Amino acid sequence: MSDALRFDGVTFTYPEGVRPAIDAVDLAIGEGSFALAVGPTGSGKSTLLRAANGLVPQFTGGTFAGRVSVDGRDTLAHAPRRLADVVAFVPQDPAASFVLDRVEDELAYGMENLGVDPSHMRRRVEETLDLLDLADLRDRSVRTLSGGERQRVAIAAALTAGPRILVLDEPTSQLDPQGAEDVMAALQRLVHDHGMTVLLAEHRLERVAGWVDVAIGFDRGRVRSGTPADVIGQLGAGPPVTRLGRMLGWDPLPLTVRAARALAATGAHPMLPPPDPAGKGHAHRSVLAEVRGLRATYGETTVLRELDLDLHEGEILAVMGRNGAGKSTLLRVLAGIHEPAGGHVRVRGTRPRPGVDTALCPQEADALLFNDSVEQEVRATLVARGEAGDTGPWLAALGIADLAARHPRDLSAGQRLLVATAAVAATDAPLLALDEPTRGLDPTSKERLIGFLRGHATEGRAAIVATHDVELAAAVATRVVILAGGEVIADGDPGSVLGDSRVFAPQMTRVFGPGWLTPEQVAEALT
Amino acid sequence: MMDRPSIHPVAWIVWATSAGFVAFVTTDPVYLLLLWGVSWFVYASHRVDPEHARSFRLFLTGAVIAVALRTALVFFGTVSVANTSFSFLEGLRLGTILVIFGTFNAITDPFGLVRMAPRHFHEPALAAALALSIAPRTVAGVGRVREAQRMRGIRVRGARALPALAVPVLERGMEEAHTLAESMDARGHGAGRRSRYRPQAWTGAALLIAVGGVGAAAIFLAASVGGWAVLHPQTSPIVWPQTAPLLLGATALLAVPGLVGLAEP
Repeated sequence: MSDALRFDGVTFTYPEGVRPAIDAVDLAIGEGSFALAVGPTGSGKSTLLRAANGLVPQFTGGTFAGRVSVDGRDTLAHAPRRLADVVAFVPQDPAASFVLDRVEDELAYGMENLGVDPSHMRRRVEETLDLLDLADLRDRSVRTLSGGERQRVAIAAALTAGPRILVLDEPTSQLDPQGAEDVMAALQRLVHDHGMTVLLAEHRLERVAGWVDVAIGFDRGRVRSGTPADVIGQLGAGPPVTRLGRMLGWDPLPLTVRAARALAATGAHPMLPPPDPAGKGHAHRSVLAEVRGLRATYGETTVLRELDLDLHEGEILAVMGRNGAGKSTLLRVLAGIHEPAGGHVRVRGTRPRPGVDTALCPQEADALLFNDSVEQEVRATLVARGEAGDTGPWLAALGIADLAARHPRDLSAGQRLLVATAAVAATDAPLLALDEPTRGLDPTSKERLIGFLRGHATEGRAAIVATHDVELAAAVATRVVILAGGEVIADGDPGSVLGDSRVFAPQMTRVFGPGWLTPEQVAEALT
Repeated sequence: MMDRPSIHPVAWIVWATSAGFVAFVTTDPVYLLLLWGVSWFVYASHRVDPEHARSFRLFLTGAVIAVALRTALVFFGTVSVANTSFSFLEGLRLGTILVIFGTFNAITDPFGLVRMAPRHFHEPALAAALALSIAPRTVAGVGRVREAQRMRGIRVRGARALPALAVPVLERGMEEAHTLAESMDARGHGAGRRSRYRPQAWTGAALLIAVGGVGAAAIFLAASVGGWAVLHPQTSPIVWPQTAPLLLGATALLAVPGLVGLAEP
């Protein structure tokens, strides 16, 4: 097996970097591999991905030593555009990478640049539309697509030029569980049936660990590659099944639900009775937010119809549902940002005032960062409230006190998300709404966010979280609502709602049955 | 979700150039105001998404400001009815050109135009397209940021609040431009070879639009060269403009795209 991608002694430091982003990397990825780059935020994954087609260092500048070769070509000797026929790159934010407006044209763009013959192009576009199930979207403007659709279009656009190697930066971070599974299945098909080499970075290991056959572990710029079980086992993090295996001393550590089920069946405790539903009995708590007969529209599209929902004090409500189900709109209505087309919405008995009754951290959290330091960013919110209070508690609540003096721009996407969350939380509004708060968050940051949410949802307060992350919902929610077609189709405690779903079931439910949500809960019951 | 009616981009270039030419050769407020109406009509029947609508409104605001500023220049000299109305008409002409450009910008896809450019003009066309896409992107960014700041209780109003708006918009804009440049390079842009995917057909609608535009421009050119109609109303002393029915008809020819747009399902 020859190497599709080779790194020989590669060390790279960004122009303003103090230490190398990747350090003395030796790595070979064989042709036809399905490889996963895994490691904490800021450990060099994105840098390595972008070095695969020479964007690092050709677009970034900085100090580069060593040699990267793709399909035998040196990335320093060839400009990225001269490598476009062998390697394709899908960045984290697909929307920003679109060049043309129509989906079909966007798919053809790369081939036009390579001078592919028109009849061949036409066939390749049709095949790729089918491969990623995009035929219905061919005439749409890329601007009108949902996050999941955009991701699939970006992958399709990268594929049409017929590269041998496909590199993707967090391809499932914007997708619902089903969408993520579809994308992973499509990628696997490319690897298995077409002999492509796929390299991707991802934090949500529960979505990818079972699919890949090579893992590359990152630790402060150093890398180590091996089998997924080996690399993920050494990381200390991992999908819930791996964390459970570690707690129970299972060997080998399971990476997938299937492996975990096999291990559980041979263990001393094959069957567990369903636990008592946690967070029960919120009925006696008073209502913080009340939604009645809500109808919300975007232009001519109705997004929410006749929606009723009560949010009680002390609750952490996870709102789930596929891309485009109306989750973000519900949050925006509760924040008083989006005017409902019908029905009524009250928070603390009044129409919600943004930043007073409800504080919302949007999906594009970067939109609110404008200060020179993390501390000033949080202070700006306090100043707007007319307070000269201490920013310390807010920074501490999200575990970012050590970043206080840093410039938000120099932080990773996940860290910036925590900063934006702190800046929003500092409004001290009783209802806190977070839209996709775990995008790009590594496991450590996710733990901090979970701790923060639990601290927030106390007497007189509540949180509502729109998320695709089933493991987050399983870990932190006291109640789960599932939206579909603008209506509530399930509402209840996480054990029963997630336990009753094929798509939204967390890994512990899949292994041990309804009611089991987190590895901690299972480990406690078993020991 | 409407989709872009498929009109050949060259037809839009002909339309915009002709309309711009008409606005350029006259200061008659009747023709100019009719051009505002025609532009709005064309925009309204071909607009695609809300982002474009915001960008069109931005150009409209810019046009109104241009008219006001040009008129206000008078106050730096001797103020009279004659020179105020002269200044106003000059401003109106400038504003009309802006509105036409705003319409063109809102209803065409700048990057679609790049694909039409002959190979040697590809690079300059691309630079132009990037510049054209800045206005709608910035406008969309301003909306998003203003809203995000409101969610944490910061009202973006007045000069002191400017950084809260400008910094995220510009940073995001820079980042997007960088990602786009990277993505284009990574997808082989400028690799030297080029072919074209499913070239847009030159339809009857496109032909009507182009003929209407060329016709309007030709009639105004003839009037301008031949001198058989008054294109610049007298302002000293001020008189009611002597609007020629033929030229009104010529201006109306520029509304053809609107009618073609309405004719489509």
